[in-house]
Amino acid sequence: MLAGGKSERLHALGRMRTASALPFGGKYRIIDFTLSNCVHSGLYRIGVLTQYAPLSLQEHIGIGRAWDLDRRDGGIRLLPPYVRQRATNWYRGTADALVQNRNVIADAQARHILVVSGDLIYKMDYGSLIARHEARGSVLTVVTTPSPDDEAERYGIVDVDGTGRVRGVEVRRDGGPGTQVSASIYLFRGRDLLARLADPSLGPDLVADVIRPMIEEGLPVHADPFDGYWHDVTTIDSYYAASMDLLRPLPPINLNDPDWLVYTPSEDRAPSLLGGSADVVSSMIAHGTRIEGTVRRSILFPGVHVGAGAIVEDSIVMHDTRILRGARLHGAIIDKQVRIGERAEVGVGEPVRHREHPHDLGGGLCVIGKGAEVPTGAKVGRNTLVEIGVRERDYGRDGVPSGSTVRPRPAGAAR
Amino acid sequence: MSGVPYAMILAGGVGSRLCLLSEKRAKPAVPFGGKYRIIDFTLSNCVNSGIFDVGILTQYRPLSLRDHIGIGRAWDLDRKRGGVELLQPFQGWAENDWYRGTADAVWQNWHRVADRQAEHILVLSGDHVYRMDYRPMIEAHLERGADATVAITEVPIEQASQFGVVRTDASGWITGFLEKPKNPPSGRISMGVYVFRVAALLQELVKDDERNSAHDFGRDILPALVERGRVAAFLVPGYWQDIGTLDSFYQANLDLVSEDPPFPLEDPRWPIFTPSTEYPPARIGSGAHVRSSIVTHGTIVNGTVERSVLFPGAVVEEGAVVRDSIVMGETWIGPDAVLDRVILDKRVHVGRAATIGTGPSTPNRACPEHLSAGITIVGKETRVPEGITVGRNVRIAADLAEEDFPRDGLASGDVLER
Repeated sequence: MLAGGKSERLHALGRMRTASALPFGGKYRIIDFTLSNCVHSGLYRIGVLTQYAPLSLQEHIGIGRAWDLDRRDGGIRLLPPYVRQRATNWYRGTADALVQNRNVIADAQARHILVVSGDLIYKMDYGSLIARHEARGSVLTVVTTPSPDDEAERYGIVDVDGTGRVRGVEVRRDGGPGTQVSASIYLFRGRDLLARLADPSLGPDLVADVIRPMIEEGLPVHADPFDGYWHDVTTIDSYYAASMDLLRPLPPINLNDPDWLVYTPSEDRAPSLLGGSADVVSSMIAHGTRIEGTVRRSILFPGVHVGAGAIVEDSIVMHDTRILRGARLHGAIIDKQVRIGERAEVGVGEPVRHREHPHDLGGGLCVIGKGAEVPTGAKVGRNTLVEIGVRERDYGRDGVPSGSTVRPRPAGAAR
Repeated sequence: MSGVPYAMILAGGVGSRLCLLSEKRAKPAVPFGGKYRIIDFTLSNCVNSGIFDVGILTQYRPLSLRDHIGIGRAWDLDRKRGGVELLQPFQGWAENDWYRGTADAVWQNWHRVADRQAEHILVLSGDHVYRMDYRPMIEAHLERGADATVAITEVPIEQASQFGVVRTDASGWITGFLEKPKNPPSGRISMGVYVFRVAALLQELVKDDERNSAHDFGRDILPALVERGRVAAFLVPGYWQDIGTLDSFYQANLDLVSEDPPFPLEDPRWPIFTPSTEYPPARIGSGAHVRSSIVTHGTIVNGTVERSVLFPGAVVEEGAVVRDSIVMGETWIGPDAVLDRVILDKRVHVGRAATIGTGPSTPNRACPEHLSAGITIVGKETRVPEGITVGRNVRIAADLAEEDFPRDGLASGDVLER
């Protein structure tokens, strides 16, 4: 499981954690979906390749208890880069991460090796994928899915011929929504993958240096189309869209399905308490929340408090954030332990694109980083970024205009 | 306290005054407060007080409790040294038999106490809702050199006759211990939380074993120790609720959603631990109205919920109204059903447009003493038919099917058995 990447495009949400560790759906982390897929599919031997900001992920996974992965045989193992006698290296890419853990992979003596990303939302039975892969006699199966957005180049466009053979995996910009793209789910025949990992001249990237050569050499590489819900979360817009999908009357991912529960370590929080003036509709509410205000079309993670008269709309609010009386949030993604001051207004004003990151913050969302404060009565515009740990003193007089960023001022700097 | 503090929790009671709720489970395993079982409060008090060596004495219907406790993981009680152990009656030694009372339960498991070679032990009750740090009480007990120290709380004097009432002298020694007196002299009652000097307790247990008594701590052991003159009172402020009756069960749950709850369930300094379920967060639909209520993971609300407690997996469909009610796990309340002052046990199914809890508050025919406050109770896994009307103070047994109900419904005070 590849869970070591840095997602620049998540900005404040992705700086202190890799995308796989991003909180999702009111109590989960993104990686819970892939891990739960594994255990529901009977895969109990899992290595998680970590590199960028792994602490949050390590703490989350622990010994794998939540997924029944604390096992004597197999179970879950975190595989960070490590120092060795010769040539100590960070992982230079996805293939290099596998090369550096070649011994671990070889020790598993697995007939098949599944390489998946830890930062995607989908439910899939890998068992039936393996059965089809075996039936076709594939050396490699590439799962494909229609691109969920118009950024097909983010995923890699898969060219498939009439017989289901993959003719190419390319990053190009001509794919609109619906183009068949790689779902980042690759099933290899074990010995073929290991043979390639043993090549000292192998390049660092899994797609460019392992998968593409396999296709070009004419090995049996097949596409396996997946038509279930599949969603990437490595941009602000895609994370927000996947989250809001959960609030549909019939959500595309049914978290309540008793036969396919998504597992996660539960926190010891009290049940939610909705007060006498609470007004909550079309929302997901986790344990430990306390609501006196209005919440519409929003997801509240554990321990969030919404004060009387506060309004939270179309927003995602993570653990232990406090929204004080009379504050208003519209289209905001608020990280953990944020304090929104009384009567503050977040997500108001003209929807001008973000000045520095127009591509990432153009849909009107406001992102507030972990532990930040929004001062009493402050106005925070749309397409704005409030960085991690921003204090009240870091704000200008007129709040945060649409399209701008607030950063912590260096200690001791004058206003 | 020399050695590791050891606590024994009395959790074997039948809880007959809890009516249907304890028909299939021991009283400490009765669900409470949205995600807990009653025993969670005592177990959490133990671990929050640094006590990680706990024996639970069970006898009546222990399965639910056993499933709940498991290996004690939720409380960090899955330990190599200490941890939690369920102590069931067993055969094999001449003197072993079913527990004859709370004191006999401890006596039959005395080997567990002896093994620990501790000079003092804690004896607790598993069916009370309260938050207490046991350490100051243990310290006071040691300082005074008491044979026993009894935690005391104050209740209104008119309620005291349901409890063990204590009389104390000016320096805090207990001079009288009256179990459920007709005319209580005060509202100072025992919380069922005791620290004993092991040697003193052993002497009394040996004597009591021979006697033809109730073999009960409150009735027999404490009065005998009081005679010896070294039983101290330890006053504990704060909320304490015995979940002995249906009314007290109902009230303690509703207290949690009152304007002024007696204590916060969510308190990082004193968490109440319980095994968590795997459900997703609560889903509140577009037409829902939820206020003054507790909702939990796995609940889905599309109707109206007021002053109620919803346990994990409870579903309230569109147009349904749930008021002043306690709805346990995995219950389904169909569209347009109306519930008023109702306790639904687990996995009850309420058909579309059924009305439960309406009309006059006639006391229940079978048990007027427990069911007269207007609360209607429906037992585990019963299916209430569509469109039916059920009155107040009605008791509906567990495991009933739609066809077990009379077509014209149930009047207030009725009983429906299989």
